[in-house]
Amino acid sequence: MTQMPMGAVPKKKEEKMKLFRKPNKNLFRQMKKNYSAYLFLLPKLILFTLFVAIPVVWAFILSFQKYKVFGSEFIGLENYIEVFQSEAFWIALKNTLLFTVVTVPFGVISALVLSVLIFELGKLSQSIFRSAFYLPTVTSMVIIAMVWRWMYNYDFGLFNYVLGWFGVGPVNWLGQSSTALWALIIMQCLIPFGVGIIMYLASMGSISQSLYEAARMDGAGKFKQWIHITIPLLKPTTLYLVLLSTIGSFQVFTQIIMMTGGGPGSATETLVHLIYKTGFRDFDFGLAGAQSVVLFAIILIFSIIQFRVLRHDE
Amino acid sequence: MKKMFKKSAIAAASLGLAASILAGCGDKKEAGNADEFKGKITIWDGPRWPDEEENKFHWLEAKIKEYEEAHEGIEIELVQVPWAEMGDKLGVAIAGKGWPDIAPVDISGSAISIDHIEQGVIESMDDYLDKKEKEDFYENALDAYTYDGKLYGIPNSITLHSMLLNLDLFEEAGVEPPKDGNWTYDEFLQAAEKLTFDRDGDGKIDVYGFSTYIMPGYYEAWPFFYKNGGSPLNEDMTEFTFDSPEIVQSIQDLADLKLKHKVAPETLGGNDVGGTFQAWANEEQRTVAMEPWATWAIGAAQGAYPTNFAVANYPTGDSKDPVTIGGVGGWVMMHQDDANKRAAVADFMKFISTADEQYHMAQHYGIFPARVSAAEMDPFKDNPEMTRAMEMSDQVVMLPRHPEWRKIDEAIQNELQLVFNGEKTAEQAMADAKKAVDKIIK
Repeated sequence: MTQMPMGAVPKKKEEKMKLFRKPNKNLFRQMKKNYSAYLFLLPKLILFTLFVAIPVVWAFILSFQKYKVFGSEFIGLENYIEVFQSEAFWIALKNTLLFTVVTVPFGVISALVLSVLIFELGKLSQSIFRSAFYLPTVTSMVIIAMVWRWMYNYDFGLFNYVLGWFGVGPVNWLGQSSTALWALIIMQCLIPFGVGIIMYLASMGSISQSLYEAARMDGAGKFKQWIHITIPLLKPTTLYLVLLSTIGSFQVFTQIIMMTGGGPGSATETLVHLIYKTGFRDFDFGLAGAQSVVLFAIILIFSIIQFRVLRHDE
Repeated sequence: MKKMFKKSAIAAASLGLAASILAGCGDKKEAGNADEFKGKITIWDGPRWPDEEENKFHWLEAKIKEYEEAHEGIEIELVQVPWAEMGDKLGVAIAGKGWPDIAPVDISGSAISIDHIEQGVIESMDDYLDKKEKEDFYENALDAYTYDGKLYGIPNSITLHSMLLNLDLFEEAGVEPPKDGNWTYDEFLQAAEKLTFDRDGDGKIDVYGFSTYIMPGYYEAWPFFYKNGGSPLNEDMTEFTFDSPEIVQSIQDLADLKLKHKVAPETLGGNDVGGTFQAWANEEQRTVAMEPWATWAIGAAQGAYPTNFAVANYPTGDSKDPVTIGGVGGWVMMHQDDANKRAAVADFMKFISTADEQYHMAQHYGIFPARVSAAEMDPFKDNPEMTRAMEMSDQVVMLPRHPEWRKIDEAIQNELQLVFNGEKTAEQAMADAKKAVDKIIK
């Protein structure tokens, strides 16, 4: 085995160090050189600062305060202690986790399966299905929730009507603790993950056909090609979609406020609905800020875990 | 009417005393001169009754035009806000210190809390309404807007809840409505049983005797809970008392209309406000014979949803006296830095709160005037249903004016939902509510 000389830096590590060192050293020179790119970025950067960065920082500052309209007071970690001591928070966290754990894998896997099926079709059919499955993405969740509320209606709803065909009595889908959250989960699962389908189709289009030809020559069938070529090469897209939908699921809100209001009892209470109530019903913006920071931390932890598990190793 | 809100007044006085000890007396503000103000005043309002062109803001638009013509240099901007969004939007506006100058607010409702008054977000009206002007308002309407001995708004309407009976369904089932609208709970239950029937003979119930919903911030069902006496909190609001035997029994009685007697649909105690109203009023449905509603529903049943109906008291229990829950609506002035503008805003608020305006609003908008002189004009002389509802004002009790009432309300209503869907008994639910409420009030 060849020994590396003392003090020598492995080549790969050296490259990594350069990558980190160089931009810092020449930051201003680089910025000056690429000023036109920064000018193009400026409008977006201003909007991001105004509507994302500042509110996020403000929420973080609020989380350490007892909020008052005229002169809030600093109270240290009291809001965070209240968050973790609150039964409502743990119920909301449990419901949100269940919602996420079921809807994210279902959404991503169904998007992958649908994309594979659509990819096999001709150009016109592809366009039709792509548009059809993307439609819910551009439809307001308020409208979707209203439609689904009707579908779950005890007296006139579609689901109870269909159950009636099989001699099954009507179910109070949104009125019982045992069914309300699952009704929302089923609704989420049955709304096609339009962004996922579009991204998977785009990614599949960029996979070289020579790989499939080689696999076919080696005797691999469709399923084996899918398992050994398509899925591994779609891993970066899958990671992105899992992250995207996890963040979206943790932030589920519209369906809750439109369909159940968090009830019956606390059966469908979720974290963002709890934050909304704390902030805009109780006007306790300090506590709502702390809840938001905790939610941010939870999403961050989940994202890091997902990134480590699913990242595309070179 | 004079007995109205007795409990509320005691609660408000207790709260006011406590607050004055804690907060001390506020600084006296300069009254200002309205004539010296030139500029813009912003007012928020929700849709009221429509004109021929279906414009539901025509009344306030006309008043604004009239005021602007008489006050050169003053511009009044009306921001139209749906009632369902009023609370949230006002909450956001307060958080961002971007509030309007005037907002329509039920001071005991969800949009504005006592905490906001303590923080100085709402201006006192004491400098702008003299003793003689105040005497024209019902004492209890003023009480609803009084905190710590100061008046924080101009009441413009009083509402209450009543039982609305669909007389067509009563006739179809051969049931006599209660004489003079008075009945005991047993009589109500007997009527509900007869009003629950299979209309088309397919073996399924098509019409139910009773229905209502349970949601935070809604109190249609609550007068039933008071039928044997009791209240959510004790008089000094330091103890949860909705777990008393008489309250627990009343809650269970109402839930048993569905769970035991089967005279209410499965949706009793759900959160579908619109669906519940449609079931009573919509000509294509009419599947529920009796529902409790606030007075706006009387106007709706006389207008958009023409219904042959009668107004009745809530049924009585052990306490023998019928009870209902009321509310007071009105205008509040949000915090102002400029004394002259404060005076101008107050002047406009008074301009839209005269006896004539309240009389006009009572006639068209299904509310009772908060001014004695407006009520004396008899706005309901051609409206027997509203007259009947107005007679119920003596039965009104108000909800506790606790600074954390919204949290307390949610803790109670969440548990009530579980009673009505059969997951808990009233006793279990109120024991659990007590644990949650005790944490809030202690």
